[in-house]
Amino acid sequence: MTHAPAVVIDNGTGYTKAGYAGNNDPQFIIPTCLALRESQGGNLSTKRGIEDLDYFIGDEALANSKTYGISYPIRHGTVDNWDHMEKFHQALLFHYLRCEPEDHHFLLTEPPLNPPENREYTAEIFFESFGAKGMYIAVQAVLALAASWAHGKTEQTLTGTVIDSGDGVTHVIPVAEGYVIDSAIKHIPIAGRDITQFVQQLLRERENSIPPEDSLEVAKRIKEMYSYVCPDIVKEFKKYESEGDKWFKRHEFVHSVTKKSYTIDVGFERFLGPEIFFSPEIVSPDFLTPLPQVVDEVIQGCPIDTRRGLYKNIVLSGGSTMYKDFGRRLQRDIKNMVVARLRHYESVAQVNLAQDQQIQGKNVDVNVISHKKQRYAVWFGGSLLADTAEFNSCYHTKAQYEEHGPSIARFNKVFASIH
Amino acid sequence: MPAYHSSFNDGQYRSLGNIALLPIKTKIRGPAPSAVDAETDDIVDEAIGLFRANCFFRNFEIKGGGDRALIYLLLFIQECLQKLQKLPSSVEGQRMLLTHALQNFAIPGENQFPLNAMYEKPVSKNDQDQLRQYLSQLRQECATRLATKIYDGKEVPSKWWLCFSKRKFMGLPNVGTMA
Repeated sequence: MTHAPAVVIDNGTGYTKAGYAGNNDPQFIIPTCLALRESQGGNLSTKRGIEDLDYFIGDEALANSKTYGISYPIRHGTVDNWDHMEKFHQALLFHYLRCEPEDHHFLLTEPPLNPPENREYTAEIFFESFGAKGMYIAVQAVLALAASWAHGKTEQTLTGTVIDSGDGVTHVIPVAEGYVIDSAIKHIPIAGRDITQFVQQLLRERENSIPPEDSLEVAKRIKEMYSYVCPDIVKEFKKYESEGDKWFKRHEFVHSVTKKSYTIDVGFERFLGPEIFFSPEIVSPDFLTPLPQVVDEVIQGCPIDTRRGLYKNIVLSGGSTMYKDFGRRLQRDIKNMVVARLRHYESVAQVNLAQDQQIQGKNVDVNVISHKKQRYAVWFGGSLLADTAEFNSCYHTKAQYEEHGPSIARFNKVFASIH
Repeated sequence: MPAYHSSFNDGQYRSLGNIALLPIKTKIRGPAPSAVDAETDDIVDEAIGLFRANCFFRNFEIKGGGDRALIYLLLFIQECLQKLQKLPSSVEGQRMLLTHALQNFAIPGENQFPLNAMYEKPVSKNDQDQLRQYLSQLRQECATRLATKIYDGKEVPSKWWLCFSKRKFMGLPNVGTMA
C-alpha cells in the first residue's frame, strides 16, 4: 500500500461519525459529548498529576454522567468550546480510531455558514497538537451531494439542493458547481426531535399502559420502526378504518425498571409524525411553511441560471429524511408548485402576444434523490471523495502549514479560491 | 398542506344566514333537501371523514357556505367525543349523543353562539326558524352516524376516536352547547 487511508470525521451537533476512507460505513458513531471532572483536587488523578487525561467521550461519557460533568462542545452545528473539542478529537484519534496522526490525512467537515476563523482553529489543533500529515475541511452539503453519486442513476454533478435533517434542525442548502450559495440557505426549526415529541403526545392521549419514565424511549422506537409518509392524511385515515388489520400494529415493550412487558397499539402516529414536515401547523404555532415550499423558495432565491440544476438534483441527507416515501411526497409537492408557476407565467406572457402566437414553457425537471446511504450521507460522501487519487493533492500539508500558518485553511484547493 | 375544505363550497345552494343549506341523506324532518344519490358523501359524511385530519389545524380560511356547515359539524363532533369520555356502553352512548344533539342550542346571531364573528345572522324570522331546524337536523344525523362509527358494533367507544377528544379545531373548544 502506498499510503495509509485518510481518516474521515464528521462532527455533528448530536453525533460524531468517524472512520477510514474507502469504507462504506463509519466505524464509530458516538455522541459528540465529553465527561469532565468538575471539582478539582482530592481525587486520585490530581495526586498523580494526570487530571488532563481524566475524561471520557461519547457513550462512555454518558455512562459516567453521574460522577462527571457532561459538555457538548458543538452547538447548532458549529464548535462552541475549542478546548473541549480538542480533547474530544484527542480521545477519538487515540482511543477509538487508534491511529498515528503523522501517517494519515484527515478529512473534516464544517456546517454551512461556518466562520473562516473556525477553520483556522481546526487547522491549529490538527497540525500543532496532533502533527497531522495533511488535512482538508469540506462543506457538509457538498459531501452529501457526492454521497448521492453512489445511487448510480444520476450524473455526477456538484450542483444540487441538499436537504439535511438531523435531530435538532433541518437545513435546505443550494450548491452550484460545488459552491454553496450562502445567501439562499434556509433553516427549518422542525426535525427529528419534534417528530418524537409529537408521537409521544399522540401516544399519551391514547395509550394508558405506557409508564411515564419510558414514554420518550417508546416514542423514539415507534418513530424509528413504524413511521412513513402518506400522500394524503384524510385518505390514510380511511385506509386505517377499512383495512385496520393491515395498518394498525402492536409492539411489545419491556419496562426499563420492573422488566415487565407491556403492549402498545401503534396507529395514526405512523403517518402523522413525519407529516409535520409537510403540515407544520399541526405542531407548531409559529412556523407554518411546509418543507416543499421552503425548498421552492430557496431555489427561487438562487441565481436564475442555476435553478434548473437545483430542481433536478434534490438530495436527502440525515436520519430524519429516512421515512418511507419521504422523497416521493416531497417531489410531488415541489413539482406541483413548479408546474403551477410555469402555467401562470405562460398565461401572463400570452397576454402580450398576438392571437396566433403560442408560447410554451420548457418543463422543469424535479427530482428528489433517495439513496441507501442517506443516514450518514455526509460521512459517506467524505469517505468516497477521500478515497479518490485526485483528492490527494487537495490536502493542506504539514509543510504548508509550517510555511504559511493557519490561514491556509481558508484556502480551498478544489475550487482554487479563498472561501 | 393547509386544512381540508368542504367540497360543497362551489355548488348553487340556498343559504341561511351564510351557512349553505345542503342536501343530506336523512329521515329526520327539516328544511334540508334530501340527497338524491345514496352512494355519494353528503356534508355529514364529509365532516366525519375530515374530522380526524382537520382537528389538528388551528388556522382555517372559510371559502364558502359549505365550509361554515363543515366547521359547525366538526366542532359538534368535538363536543360528542368529550361527552363519551366516561366510556358509556353502546346503547347508553347512543342515547347520550342523541340527547346532546336535541338539547337547546344557540344559532348564529344569538348571544350564546361563540362563532358570531364568522357567521351572519339570518335576515328574517322565517330564516331564523329554518336555520334552527336545519342545524338540529345536522346535529341529529351527525350524532347517529358518529355513534355507529365510534362503537362499530362493540360495547365501548373506540380509542381510535376518543384520542382526538382533546383536540381543538381552530383553537375552539365547542359550538356553545357544552355545559
